[in-house]
Amino acid sequence: MTSPREIRTEPDKRRTLDELASMVPDGAVVAVGGGLSSREPMALLRALLRRGATGLTVVGSAHGIDVDLLCAGGALARSAESYVGFEQDFGLAPNYRRALESGAVEAADSCCYTLVQQLRAAIQGLPFMPIRSVRGTGFMTLHPEYRLMTCPFTGEELLLVPALEPDVALIHAQYGDEKGNLVIQGPPVADLLFARASKLVLATVEKIVTTQDVQGMPGAVLPYFYVAAICEAPMGAHPTACYPFYGYDRPHTALYHAAARAGAESFKSTYLDVFVHGAASHDAYLARIGGEATRARLASWANGDDAWMNLYRDEAPA
Amino acid sequence: MIASCTLGEMMIAALTRTIQDGELVFHGFGSPLVQLAMHVAKRTHAPRMGLVAGATYGVDPAPRFLTPTSNDWAMDQGAAASLGIEELFDLAAAGRLGRMFLSGLQIDRWGNCNVTALGAPHMAMKLPGGGGGGNLSCDAQRVTLWTPAHRAEIDAKGRRRFRLVEACDFITNLGHRDAAGRPRKAYGHRGRGPQFLITELGLFDYEADGHMRLVALYPDTTIEDAQENTGFALRMADRVGVIAPPTRSVVDLIRKLDPLRVHEKEIRPLDLKRRFDLVEQREERA
Repeated sequence: MTSPREIRTEPDKRRTLDELASMVPDGAVVAVGGGLSSREPMALLRALLRRGATGLTVVGSAHGIDVDLLCAGGALARSAESYVGFEQDFGLAPNYRRALESGAVEAADSCCYTLVQQLRAAIQGLPFMPIRSVRGTGFMTLHPEYRLMTCPFTGEELLLVPALEPDVALIHAQYGDEKGNLVIQGPPVADLLFARASKLVLATVEKIVTTQDVQGMPGAVLPYFYVAAICEAPMGAHPTACYPFYGYDRPHTALYHAAARAGAESFKSTYLDVFVHGAASHDAYLARIGGEATRARLASWANGDDAWMNLYRDEAPA
Repeated sequence: MIASCTLGEMMIAALTRTIQDGELVFHGFGSPLVQLAMHVAKRTHAPRMGLVAGATYGVDPAPRFLTPTSNDWAMDQGAAASLGIEELFDLAAAGRLGRMFLSGLQIDRWGNCNVTALGAPHMAMKLPGGGGGGNLSCDAQRVTLWTPAHRAEIDAKGRRRFRLVEACDFITNLGHRDAAGRPRKAYGHRGRGPQFLITELGLFDYEADGHMRLVALYPDTTIEDAQENTGFALRMADRVGVIAPPTRSVVDLIRKLDPLRVHEKEIRPLDLKRRFDLVEQREERA
């Protein structure tokens, strides 16, 4: 039996982005919050790469630029994601593909519900959870740790999947307070499960507000006692969306994807050295992507459907 | 007056017809053709379907417009409720998800899909991964498969690279038989497996033994097209029919739902040029 995860009651959990990044140990199993082109903790991941993190395992359901960037930055040893790609918008994830095809990163793909059940086991302090599905697929050989059992009540065959307790969950939310209460607006994806199942929860938020503000807000509230540290990072999910603050930066993602497609060496000089290692702080990154003009462009989704569609009409940076 | 439609609109119409009124239906990410099919079904023959959107898990949303990626607030506008990721998969595990749409870069004769990696035992190409397909292919009551990339392109060495293959290099989504040939029924899964496959060349169903069967072509494709782009001997229905085009009102609806033509990202350049005459018909019937 593992020892219970800590209840975190410190009254002021505010830390800098670099302090958050230093709390992620090399070799950790990391759950990255958000999904696809939305609410991924990108500022924190960039800080993690600047710190030179290595040997990480990532777990999650539907990811894109976050995991692709970690692959390019040499931070990963293993990927247990269910999906890593840019959907129909830009297609396959080039850095992810290179890292997994070369063997630099071990491919340990999972499936969404398998992950959910493994997290649930950890949340409940149980060693495993049963599922019916997955039997008959290739995941049975990819994951020799799964076990078959005969149900003692019905006699049917079930699959047991072991508890998954990530070492660290990295979450970007819209709002939070000093104590660590987090307000997640819009689809929470797997973030709440990640936060409840992980040993250490590190959060960035668009805005730190008072506890009283949190009480009146729409959205899902993750209670403070799960959270170890919080940092205000406006536009901290860029180039993914964090509504209502800003939409998905499609032109920047197009630039990223083109740089990634051009090859590992070229990606390092045209993207990593510019937007990650070449921007020593989050503020420097925001300046690098166009500062206030970019923020205003991405916030213009709120001006009506035409303005919202205009964000996606072309791939050239405005 | 709209006189013709595109291949994408034909495929959306065919996908739409596989949805039954009153069932709970879900789609994954990166599936604009399916997203549109579900929204069309809800607004035509299946007003009582429960529509759960992939990525956002919104229930019965009315998107302002189709976005280039799935997890976007524009897709979630007007949703009656939002499920957590666990809730949707729980519904499926309990046998309550009526239909799921799945695809793969390889699809074999039994309806298994590979979205994990090409090349076995040594990986030649890492694919994005199947999301929840490994679970939902087992749990969803019915599965509609689709691919807009049936046509086998000729590779650099002059070989055809089949998408419809004898056997998948990796089974991400379970069809009617596993890699060892064990029938799906032996597993006691909740779901009954693939019911239809819709490609840019034709419409297929599955026979009692779980093998794919050609049942209809497009007005501009032939049995030979389907056979030469398939990596195994095709089985055919006694009468191979023709896929009906959508009604004008459905074409109009698709164009309103997808003003940015996001779904055309799924279609290959060659197929973007195809046009199909619309004929006067009564309202869409499932």
